Amino acid sequence: MKEFNIVLAGVGGQGILLAAEILGTAALKEGLNVRVSEIHGMAQRGGSVTSNIRMGERVLAPTILEGTADILLGFEPIETLRNLRFASGKTFVLMNNEPAPPLGLTTKMISYPSSDEITKKIRFFTKNIVVMEAAELAKEAGSILTQNVVLIGGLAATEKAPVKIESLKDSIRELVPEKYLTVNMKAFELGYESVQRKTKLWSS
Amino acid sequence: MLLQDKPESRVLLLGNEAIARGVLEAGIGVVTTYPGTPASEIGDSISAIAAEAGLYMEYSTNEIVAVEVAAGTANSGVRTLTAMKHVGLNVAADAVMTLAYIGVKGGYVIVTADDPECYSSQNEQDTRFYTLLSNLPCLEPSNPQEAKDMTISAIEISERLELPVLLRPTTRVSHTRGPVTYGKLTKPNLKGEFIKDVRRMVMVPANARPMHIKLLEKLRRAKEISETSLYNNVVREGNSELGIISSSSAYNYAVEAAELLGLDASILKLGMTHPLPEKMIKRFLGNHEKIVIVEELEPYLEMQVKIIAKDHAPNVKIFGKMNKLYFPRKGELSTRTVTKGLAEITGKESPINFKKIDDEYADITKDLPSRPPILCAGCPHRASFYVIKKTTGEKTICTTDIGCYALGIAPPLKVGDILICMGASIGTAQGISKVTGKNTVAIIGDSTFFHAAIPGLVNAVYNNHKVTLAVLDNLTTAMTGSQPHPGTGVTGMGNPSAKILIEKVAEGCGVKYVEVVDPFNIKEATMILEKALQHPGPSVVVFRAPCALMEARQKRRTGIKIVPCKVTDKCTNCMVCIKLLGCPALIVKDEEVTITETLCTGCGLCVSVCPYNAIECKRNG
Repeated sequence: MKEFNIVLAGVGGQGILLAAEILGTAALKEGLNVRVSEIHGMAQRGGSVTSNIRMGERVLAPTILEGTADILLGFEPIETLRNLRFASGKTFVLMNNEPAPPLGLTTKMISYPSSDEITKKIRFFTKNIVVMEAAELAKEAGSILTQNVVLIGGLAATEKAPVKIESLKDSIRELVPEKYLTVNMKAFELGYESVQRKTKLWSS
Repeated sequence: MLLQDKPESRVLLLGNEAIARGVLEAGIGVVTTYPGTPASEIGDSISAIAAEAGLYMEYSTNEIVAVEVAAGTANSGVRTLTAMKHVGLNVAADAVMTLAYIGVKGGYVIVTADDPECYSSQNEQDTRFYTLLSNLPCLEPSNPQEAKDMTISAIEISERLELPVLLRPTTRVSHTRGPVTYGKLTKPNLKGEFIKDVRRMVMVPANARPMHIKLLEKLRRAKEISETSLYNNVVREGNSELGIISSSSAYNYAVEAAELLGLDASILKLGMTHPLPEKMIKRFLGNHEKIVIVEELEPYLEMQVKIIAKDHAPNVKIFGKMNKLYFPRKGELSTRTVTKGLAEITGKESPINFKKIDDEYADITKDLPSRPPILCAGCPHRASFYVIKKTTGEKTICTTDIGCYALGIAPPLKVGDILICMGASIGTAQGISKVTGKNTVAIIGDSTFFHAAIPGLVNAVYNNHKVTLAVLDNLTTAMTGSQPHPGTGVTGMGNPSAKILIEKVAEGCGVKYVEVVDPFNIKEATMILEKALQHPGPSVVVFRAPCALMEARQKRRTGIKIVPCKVTDKCTNCMVCIKLLGCPALIVKDEEVTITETLCTGCGLCVSVCPYNAIECKRNG
């Protein structure tokens, strides 16, 4: 693999940094060179959070060039839109449908775009899009905090996944504290099954 | 994981964790730090394992103290590292400039992490200029592996020259994870001995003059090290007239941008950027007709390369950001910005149509609501700001400071009128109060109070400035990841220690009106702040309540359930709570005010402001 780029986009508190570390660790397990870049501090206080993961033989830059993302993993719908400049017609978008309303919505009453509007905008950049109910699946797994792992499970079920399922599972086992591991493994499975079902429906 | 003694194993580490691993491999015995993004995880990673690793670490009160403690340990022969953010070096500069004369005996590395793009800083200064000011050698890593390796090399260079060495990562090195191949761990030596040597150690003028000469001699030897350093080399030999010189994270963008444009350029990568390898650069200039310098922030390399070119290669054309801005001088670089600059210089065309992407993107995102950082749900600062605003009104000038509470400027609270640097709130308030004759409130956090506010407070008492200092004490260094400080009663080693009380410090400084309040007790806090504002001299009000994130973590750990507030059917949707507080847990769903249970900490602040008594909270009964 020469170069594979993943953009993670969401808001503070959604576990994006852990998700990025899981993906990066999995890539390292497969002998790939990796760069995972993240922004800490101010950005975490309810603000937009993104992480860029690059894997492949010769990746050097920690950040992704516009129009070159292979996968855009959206933890939140409008944050997914905000990162569309990294997408092209070849990008696969896997997006959580659960909105996190920005504060502006509560003080100035700006409207949150409808889900149709959102998918329409994404389709303008790429037709490869799968929407996941990550919040519901995370709750089903036992904790709303596992949305990040639900999405990684979903990613693992796609043809586009750059690393093997086992590498991802091993990374989760390494990085998630033991007492939360069962819930997280369940979240991974639920995410995996959900996307597998959706993509099967597509191809049939 | 950092303590694994498995040489050759390959581990995914954050740049800052890699520096911490470098500490362990270099056998560094003492680490001192003051937390600051993007450097914080260096100290935090060490703090977590210091006792087990057998080394000593401390969160010092501020950066200059951190350097002074280190000057003592390193001059007693113990290998030492100090970590700070870029602006921390401004605080430490007084000590650093003269420590350069004295030098060190045990290896000493000062890590100062720059923040191009000001991701979490008040400026984006290019700290490399301190090397020219202090004459200290400097290494610039471009990835986590180099961050670890250079920590060890910096110690070696420091011991060879008996001189502190600067290690300058940037946000994109400190906060990038990449593979790091481990070396062997070295057992830290903590035992030192200070040998008296007045001529070398006591910088009175008669001793400083000869030590300055010695420093210049060390600089000459440092240049020889730079000429043969493995970190300075031509990483690619091209077959064209074009040569690129780069360092740090910018190097990564330069290589990828040159590949994208299909440029057959030679690339000189500089890892030791002070002093520069003059002979090596001279040779590189001699082999090319066009030189492009790719670096972040200021034209630090470009200026020096141009000086070398003037004497040795006057006809070579040098492109960068001095005569014309081929690359931006502000913000961080990216493969895109470097591609754009290189395309302009070489006349090549970018294979990616950025303009098209920008236009489409602008169209798609033009109506998207923004998501600026805000105070967390349950943050006690929100209660403090509500009290301050309610008591002082819109017109009172509130000077503010570095920490989470800088977010008080966001609507609807909008508290904070000037912010410069750590501790500046108390000083600027005095100046404003002096010439306007109006009540002025200075806002500062607890860790920042200890870091830099005490001399300012003494000044207010000494010169009798009528200001009110509001200390927003959330019992931790919240913004940088909840590190302990002198008021917390815990050290970086995890040991209990004396709890220094801010109110006692203020009284000791001679402040006559000092009170401590619970910011969630709106009535009492308002009454006390009113009295403070009426006090004829300087006054101090400590708003004390734990950081909401820290408290939630503690509750989770101890199994105490968090009970969120509830909106009852008395609610008229008047929106007062939302309009006054801007708490992220309060939202409008289907045209009704609701509380997001996963965010609400049950602080009850909204209960206090609701005119219809329509919010229920366990805390408030």
